[in-house]
Amino acid sequence: MYQAIVFLPLLGCILAGLISLAGARARFPGGEPSEFDHGHGGHESHAAAHDAHGHDDHGAHEPAAAGSRFAELATTALLFISMLLSWLAFVKVGLGQEEFRAPILQFITVGDLKVDWGLRVDTLTTVMLVVVTSISAFVHLYSIGYMEEDPYRPRFFSYLSLFTFSMLMLVTADSLVQLFFGWEGVGLMSYLLIGFWYHKPEANAAAIKAFLVNRVGDFGFSLGIFAVFYLTGAVDFDTIFAQAPALSGKTFHFLSWDLDALTVVCLLLFMGAMGKSAQFLLHTWLPDAMEGPTPVSALIHAATMVTAGVFMVARLSPLFELAPIAQSVVIFIGASTALFAATVGLVQNDIKRIVAYSTCSQLGYMFVAMGVGAYSVGMFHLFTHAFFKALLFLGCGAVIIAMHHEQDIRRMGGLKSRIPFTYWMMFIGTLALTGFPFTAGYFSKDAIIEAAFVGHNPMAIYGFVCTVIAAGLTSFYSWRLMFKTFHGEPHDHHHHEAAHEPHITMLVPLGALATGAILAGMPFKELFAGHGVAEFFRGSLTFAAGNKVLEEMHHVPVWVALTPTVMMALGLLVAWQFYIRRPDIPAALARQYKPLYTFLLNKWYFDELYDFLFVKPAMWIGRTLWKRGDGWLIDGFGPDGVSARVLDVTRNVVRLQTGYLYHYAFAMLIGVAAFITWFMFASGGH
Amino acid sequence: MNQALQFPALQALYPEILLVVGAMALLMLGVFRGDRSTGAVNGFAVLLLVAAGILVCLQDGTASAFHGSFVSDPFARFLKVVALIGSAVTIVLATEFLSAPHRQRYEFAILIMLATAGMMVLISATDLIALYLGLELMSLSLYVIAALDRDSLRSTEAGLKYFVLGALSSGMLLYGSSLVYGFTGTVEFAGIAKAAQNGGLGLTFGLVFLFAGLCFKVSAVPFHMWTPDVYEGAPTPVTAFFASAPKVAAMSVFVRASMTAFPGIAEQWQQIIVFVSIASMVLGGFAGIGQTNIKRLMAYSSIGNMGYALIGLAAGSPDGVQSVLIYVSLYVAMTLGMFACIIAMRRADGPVEKIADLAGLARTKPAMAFFLAMLLFSLAGVPPLAGFFGKFYVFLAAMKAGLYTLAILGVLASVVAAYYYLAIVKIMYFDEPATPFEPMRGELKTVLAVSGLFVLLFFVYPAPLVEAAAAAAKSLF
Amino acid sequence: MNDIVKDYFPLVVFIAVAVVIALPLMIAPFVIAYKKPDPEKLSAYECGFNAFDDARMKFDVRFYLVAILFIIFDLEVSFLFPWAVAFGDVGVFGFWSMMVFLAVLTIGFIYEWKKGALEWD
Repeated sequence: MYQAIVFLPLLGCILAGLISLAGARARFPGGEPSEFDHGHGGHESHAAAHDAHGHDDHGAHEPAAAGSRFAELATTALLFISMLLSWLAFVKVGLGQEEFRAPILQFITVGDLKVDWGLRVDTLTTVMLVVVTSISAFVHLYSIGYMEEDPYRPRFFSYLSLFTFSMLMLVTADSLVQLFFGWEGVGLMSYLLIGFWYHKPEANAAAIKAFLVNRVGDFGFSLGIFAVFYLTGAVDFDTIFAQAPALSGKTFHFLSWDLDALTVVCLLLFMGAMGKSAQFLLHTWLPDAMEGPTPVSALIHAATMVTAGVFMVARLSPLFELAPIAQSVVIFIGASTALFAATVGLVQNDIKRIVAYSTCSQLGYMFVAMGVGAYSVGMFHLFTHAFFKALLFLGCGAVIIAMHHEQDIRRMGGLKSRIPFTYWMMFIGTLALTGFPFTAGYFSKDAIIEAAFVGHNPMAIYGFVCTVIAAGLTSFYSWRLMFKTFHGEPHDHHHHEAAHEPHITMLVPLGALATGAILAGMPFKELFAGHGVAEFFRGSLTFAAGNKVLEEMHHVPVWVALTPTVMMALGLLVAWQFYIRRPDIPAALARQYKPLYTFLLNKWYFDELYDFLFVKPAMWIGRTLWKRGDGWLIDGFGPDGVSARVLDVTRNVVRLQTGYLYHYAFAMLIGVAAFITWFMFASGGH
Repeated sequence: MNQALQFPALQALYPEILLVVGAMALLMLGVFRGDRSTGAVNGFAVLLLVAAGILVCLQDGTASAFHGSFVSDPFARFLKVVALIGSAVTIVLATEFLSAPHRQRYEFAILIMLATAGMMVLISATDLIALYLGLELMSLSLYVIAALDRDSLRSTEAGLKYFVLGALSSGMLLYGSSLVYGFTGTVEFAGIAKAAQNGGLGLTFGLVFLFAGLCFKVSAVPFHMWTPDVYEGAPTPVTAFFASAPKVAAMSVFVRASMTAFPGIAEQWQQIIVFVSIASMVLGGFAGIGQTNIKRLMAYSSIGNMGYALIGLAAGSPDGVQSVLIYVSLYVAMTLGMFACIIAMRRADGPVEKIADLAGLARTKPAMAFFLAMLLFSLAGVPPLAGFFGKFYVFLAAMKAGLYTLAILGVLASVVAAYYYLAIVKIMYFDEPATPFEPMRGELKTVLAVSGLFVLLFFVYPAPLVEAAAAAAKSLF
Repeated sequence: MNDIVKDYFPLVVFIAVAVVIALPLMIAPFVIAYKKPDPEKLSAYECGFNAFDDARMKFDVRFYLVAILFIIFDLEVSFLFPWAVAFGDVGVFGFWSMMVFLAVLTIGFIYEWKKGALEWD
């Protein structure tokens, strides 16, 4: 059963992939599939015309490959089966107190290094399984409607399924290496799916950016794995965790410093998490990743892949519990991200980017929870967030479809009457995100803030302050999005008139996820953040002996418990004031505090800073090595120089051949004379 | 009646006598039957050359005639066979050229036979008189066939240039011979060797002039200047002949004279050979790059190749001589194949000789392009083709003799030369096809295939050639 | 020194004899020749050359051919003389050598005759 959960998506991927390949052959019969030079002129200009009024472009309108429908249905059906099995597993493992381990294959056995493929299904895994398969299944379903016009649907569904498989490999990993395999797999699929519309330059750029920024994190992650292997001689979790307590106090001697081994290891591993989960400093790829199709944003860049970092920290809780400094860093980064992303989200105008920054911010919340030691609480937020954030993204997708690929919220407005179902679904999602009482987000987010308040880590109070402020900001930008999109006067009457509810396959997932956004909180509260934690998670999460956060968070002062709700209400009111009652205020404010406004609008100038710090110097080094090093030095004095000299010699030698007889005779006589002279002087002694 | 006037033993000369008598008989046949008989004369000429080759092979041991001025030893027989093959194949290659109504000249084959007879005398010559006789018999025939196409301005120009410069070089050779005779008192190689133990400036001068004449014949720098013009101007089958058999003969007399007549002053002639060898390799490499006409390119190629062969001579050891023999044999095999291709380069409106005309040959005539590419790779010295072994043996001999500079310069020059060989391959395989050539004639196909397969498969079983060359080299020491 | 003089003395004698014979023969016509030109004497020779003209002029290549062919047989004769003189001593080998030589020459002669090299037109 567990194997089926993991491998059914792979089967779907292979099916859809084969159909896609067959389609490619049919499209370019008898030759290399040269997608760019095969009568695509019209296609390119068509795409460009779409770009002029929107980002979320559906690409070419050519007939889809034969079997597209089958590919969609097969992958979706397999995913739903996988989802049902996952819920079953959740019940059996989480509630039924069962654990499952299954070796699959031997992978590497070299000296001390022993890596095997294996499935490890404990409560932590089942939580992720449920999240991944549920969201994925609904996104598959949604995509059938969303990608209706795209001729490359089999490829898209193949990618989605392969992503799901990679993600499942990640969460069921039994060793760091397998985790890394899944980690890189989802990174690859993220790259491919962001760049799915590869004829769009921005999509390609965004895909490359996502991949490269993740490389930074993955570099740390792989160093972390090496360090773990160096310390413990193993990469499988059981051995590592068993040895972890013995490692505290060990040091690395690096240059002239003695560094605490566990802290270093955890920080390196956390670096990987920062990259994957788009945390502060490595967050820049996530907003750009919105160039991909919206279902991809919902699945990968909101609900699942970006939470892999959180999952990894949770999985490695036995290590992090022993490295308080690393935990402080986790809190600091998470809290900073939560606040930073929220501030940027305040002023963005692209509907998907707002949600993307919101995702970034919410991931910060989860890391705060991880940092203070409330792993189950972080997982709780991960669980609830997956539902409402996927819901919001899919809602955005519906809005974008309705607005004919318009993504700028300034050009929307008044859509409530045109697409009421979508509106209400997104309304629910927004409630959950902002933490409206008794929605899913309310329980998990409040739990994080409370945990931060009671955390013993010196950083915890910073986390508390940031998350509280971010809660208010979250509420503001979320409602800003809602008000500007659905309320007020329509900006473009033509588009407004044409707007309509999307296809039923897109509405069903919205409804399902909305249900999740409401119900994912209350019933699970006790399991994740209450008294059932120990029984529910058992050995899959480790709490250090002194870690009483989960206990103490139930005894926080009332004002602390109320603060998030108050902040939420405050944000809602301000948003209402700004965008419903007095729509002129925001413009005036932006004028008045122009530096601050542009600072936020330009995302704290991180892209520009990185461009200056890394991209420009790297380009300079590359260009210098290319132009000066390779072109001038090596080619000039190497191959090109030598060949040029050879040609010079050739030219002169050929010029000697004049064709005149007397020149030839003269050359012979000169030759003889030279030899004679040589022997006269050289062997004069004879 | 003294001993000198006894009827001499002529067994050693049977192949030469056969050739000469046959040539005269064919001359009579031709002159009485007219130009119609060209085909028959060609056929008989090939048969006679083959028969002469068989007679050469039947000889055994060392036999001499005319009081030791003519010798038949393994060295001579090895090279005679190579030269005879070259001559016979040349006549085969010329069949097409001679089939055009206005070009039916039975004299071509007869001249080739006489030139071949001259070469055989040259190869067997063990004194200066026989050397000169053979050389002139060969050269005079060559002058005439260079101008064979006498309605062509270029062909007559080639013949004239070759004749004038050839006469100059013969003069030098004769002058050198007279100096050698003057300072040693004998014209026999063995006698010269005995008398020249201690050297002397006068003898060295004689040596220089003698070598100048021989260098002209192998077209070694700086006595090479005639080569490109004559190769380009002469009719292509004639060029094929120039590039193959006469080179063998001239190289053989070079080797025999150096080894048997001047071992006492080896130091001197080594200096000349080393210089000439380096100059030939370098010039052959560099000047070839600038060529657009494939016959001119082959001229520079042959200059360079003779440079490589001379490396073996410079080594002055049995290994060296062996390597020279191997080198010239392989060179003849490759050259004949190359010229089979060049002769096959003809369109409906006549033959073409530009390298650019080969463009895209791989698509229009894949088999021809493949064999030509193999020959070019072999000429460039790419293992495991035959040309690689030729170069390998000469370099090995040079290294064993301590001539490291020469060997290294040789390798470097071969890199330069590889450029123009490979450039042709590139043109054939990667350029847009030019107008296709006319279909290749059967005899050209055969020559090309045999040559190509020899070059390709030589490495499988090189022993017969290598061992024969070793035996031949041993007979000089 | 004396040796050299002695060695080359015959040369001096030959040169002297040559001068003594040639010079008077060249000078004598100017002194004693009977000069009486008439149109027949002044007209061009049958071969087409003018009677009085620059000796270094272009002429038909066929003259050259005839000259070369003449030289071959001229040399043949000069080769035959010593052979004839020594005929008694050269024996069978000497006899057959000359026969071979003559045969080769004859073949050449037949060739040039059949090729029409001896025809003027």
